[in-house]
Amino acid sequence: MIVALPFAVGGVALLVSILVCMVRLSIGPTAADRAVALDTINTLVVATMMLLGAAFDEVVLLDVALVYALLSYVGTLFIARYLEGGLD
Amino acid sequence: MTIWAVLQVLILVLIVVGSVLAVWLKDLLASVIALGGSSLLLSLEFYLLQAPDVAIAEAGVGAALTTAIFVLAIRKTQRKEEE
Repeated sequence: MIVALPFAVGGVALLVSILVCMVRLSIGPTAADRAVALDTINTLVVATMMLLGAAFDEVVLLDVALVYALLSYVGTLFIARYLEGGLD
Repeated sequence: MTIWAVLQVLILVLIVVGSVLAVWLKDLLASVIALGGSSLLLSLEFYLLQAPDVAIAEAGVGAALTTAIFVLAIRKTQRKEEE
């Protein structure tokens, strides 16, 4: 497994920021705070997947990040529509 | 302890934190949000173990389907858990 170390260090930094977002997800007073925290975690996970795909030096792994970036939008959209009183 | 072990340990700790939150929170919408975070980190762990097909399936089921279906179910029933 040929890996590049700087990409992995960047991945660790992104995971630490996910940990900070997880604190907001746990203590957030309203549900909107938690939804925004989840959306931030989604974007950070996509960034981590891109970095790790570069670290593993495989092109196939980037497809997962693409699919995830599309699908995370749907989950956030459903939560937002519920908070707005839609989904009837 | 290599940098890859640090990555794995961080992701696994985050999965445990998200799962505990999903069980512990009283607001069911917050619980669904915590479950979504936990499942996406599980997808990242599959990715790190170099199983991209499993990661795609987990992302599709965990991020989109279960969140949407749980939110629809909460919409039809009640949101707050009764004491």
